[in-house]
Amino acid sequence: METGTLNKLSLFVEDLNETALAPNALKDAAHEFLAGQDFPTTRSERFKYTRLAKLANAAFSAAQSVNEVQIAQSKILIDAYTIVINHDNIQIPKNLPSGIEVSLIAETQIPFNEAAFYDIFGALNILHASLGISIHIRQNITLDKPLQILQINSGGKTFYRHHFSFEKNSEVAVYFISKNTEGHSSFAHTHFQYNIAKDARVKIFKIQDTNVGHFDFNEDRAKQAERSHFEINTITLCGSFVRNDAQVIIQGEHAQTYLNGAYWLKEEQHVANYTTIDHRVANCESFETYKGVATDKATAVFNGKVFVRKDAQKTNAYQSNANVLLSENASINSKPELEIYADDVKCSHGSTTGQLDENALFYLRARGLSEAAAKNLLLQAFMEDVLAYVKNEEVLAYVHKRIAARFNWNY
Amino acid sequence: MIKIENLHASINGKEILKGLNLTVNAGEVHAIMGPNGAGKSTLASVLAGREDYEITAGNVSFLDKDLLELSTEDRAREGLFLAFQYPVEIPGVSNVNFLRTALNEKRAYHGQDPISAKDFMALVREKSALVEIDPKLASRSVNEGFSGGEKKRNEIFQMAMLNPKLAVLDETDSGLDIDALRIVSQGVNALKSPENASIVITHYQRLLDYIIPDMVHVLYDGRIVKSGPKELALELEERGYDWIKESL
Ligand SMILES: Nc1ncnc2c1ncn2[C@@H]1O[C@H](COP(=O)(O)OP(=O)(O)OP(=O)(O)O)[C@@H](O)[C@H]1O
Ligand SMILES: [Mg+2]
Repeated sequence: METGTLNKLSLFVEDLNETALAPNALKDAAHEFLAGQDFPTTRSERFKYTRLAKLANAAFSAAQSVNEVQIAQSKILIDAYTIVINHDNIQIPKNLPSGIEVSLIAETQIPFNEAAFYDIFGALNILHASLGISIHIRQNITLDKPLQILQINSGGKTFYRHHFSFEKNSEVAVYFISKNTEGHSSFAHTHFQYNIAKDARVKIFKIQDTNVGHFDFNEDRAKQAERSHFEINTITLCGSFVRNDAQVIIQGEHAQTYLNGAYWLKEEQHVANYTTIDHRVANCESFETYKGVATDKATAVFNGKVFVRKDAQKTNAYQSNANVLLSENASINSKPELEIYADDVKCSHGSTTGQLDENALFYLRARGLSEAAAKNLLLQAFMEDVLAYVKNEEVLAYVHKRIAARFNWNY
Repeated sequence: MIKIENLHASINGKEILKGLNLTVNAGEVHAIMGPNGAGKSTLASVLAGREDYEITAGNVSFLDKDLLELSTEDRAREGLFLAFQYPVEIPGVSNVNFLRTALNEKRAYHGQDPISAKDFMALVREKSALVEIDPKLASRSVNEGFSGGEKKRNEIFQMAMLNPKLAVLDETDSGLDIDALRIVSQGVNALKSPENASIVITHYQRLLDYIIPDMVHVLYDGRIVKSGPKELALELEERGYDWIKESL
């Protein structure tokens, strides 16, 4: 820690304004947390495999507004309620059905109600979040169309804060698409807060498809009530620096939680997925499947924690992370962790990292498939169990199109 | 069809094939027998192009091409088929999907258009009926969870689908019940024509009751040490291999 001189973190926040959104007590806590801090090094547990030097040294062009053409190009779902978020602007559709309310966080304090932060980025978000939406789905509402949220960055450093409240027995699929415009390097840190009431069925799909030069940090905090079903499926298609940190606290019995992730990395991309599932009550199930492919000098991190508290008897928790490395210089750091304090539970976890099965490759080639086609088939098969959660045809088609474009793999 | 001359191959510095000679003409079926570890599967793998083996000497010409110069996939596209002794399980890759890709890559190699979906399905029905394989099995993941016998049947199904010029069957009869043995033999016999040939590796004379070989060879210590008419198989069944070893 340096004193007297401006450290990298101070330089990073120098041109950011503090916003008036958060309550003062919380801001004070954030200030206190940040006092004297610099960007964490790899000696810090939460950033052990993530080198922040690139971010510390990055220069960001001034934030630009995006135009209608760029927005239209960023849409993946055609038939959906679409909310567009840009660094200084939020577009909310006018045709929303009754039972769903969308407002700006500038108009409500909800997103800060249960704020907590674990690292400097979370604390910075408290101080600098300038933009966000609050979405409220009323009880017994089933949305007839999916909700599509496009978050498009175009230069600059932006902290977002979104809040979702799903009342009891509501059902909705949310497609959150993060993109940035070509030629503008930007930084985005997005905090998501979800409250899932009893019997609600909520599926979040994150389609992360930012350009090289973009830093995409995400922090998800969810609370689930009894018999609710909650999923976050994170599909990382592109982005030079992506960090996802999801935490789900299960507070009601007979709830189900799914956290899944798929990532395809090349060049010098870095993608880190941190997850925490906290089983606090009995009779719940959680399933976690993260899978990825890395080539060139790409690096991926998976760190999954599952807590099964003393009262969480009859918990069924399954966690796995599997990776395929296609080059010698690509690397994966995988750390699945289980902490179990109850005795009558079924838990499993596992992690594998390897190359494609040579015997399978030879078998396919011996039937006449080119090496590329054989690899293609094996990789497709490898990722299939995660992609199987994505039922939407438009989204799947988009995923396939992007993978074909970036890797020349045709699924 | 295929002419193998003085083939030497080693793996991890250990020589397995030590000057193997074998010629098979179109229209013929040859059986290869020999004790465990003699190099039968090694021969099959080397012919199919497995890169783990180093070819230290010899030539193989296949349909007047230098086989050893071709990639594994080009060998297959030229019409070589290997039924594996241990078929690989490939979870998540559907049998029929990959066969369609295989068939179309072969057709593209020969300058032909891809097969239509309709013709392909008709072919699947016809060939699965021929080898009496449950069409459900045909559309499952390649060999995943198949019984030993089902895997072998699936090899013959794939062979029937791809209609090779030369089929090398590595102990396809091992682990088969009597019915399956008959069915697998039917598959092989159905392929038999003046333009095709087969090399059948087996330990059991009984397979040769169903598939009548034109020649039987004994592969021992990396070489073909004895060749003869189909009666040789009977003699081997009765007397084992010691008398051959002694005569060397
Ligand atoms: N990777 C390897 N390293 C060293 N030796 C090997 C390797 N692979 C195979 N071998 C050896 O090569 C020899 C020939 O093996 P091969 O599988 O060709 O025998 P086979 O005639 O097919 O026997 P079987 O009747 O049991 O199927 C064996 O002694 C085997 O141990
Ligand atoms: Mg063998």
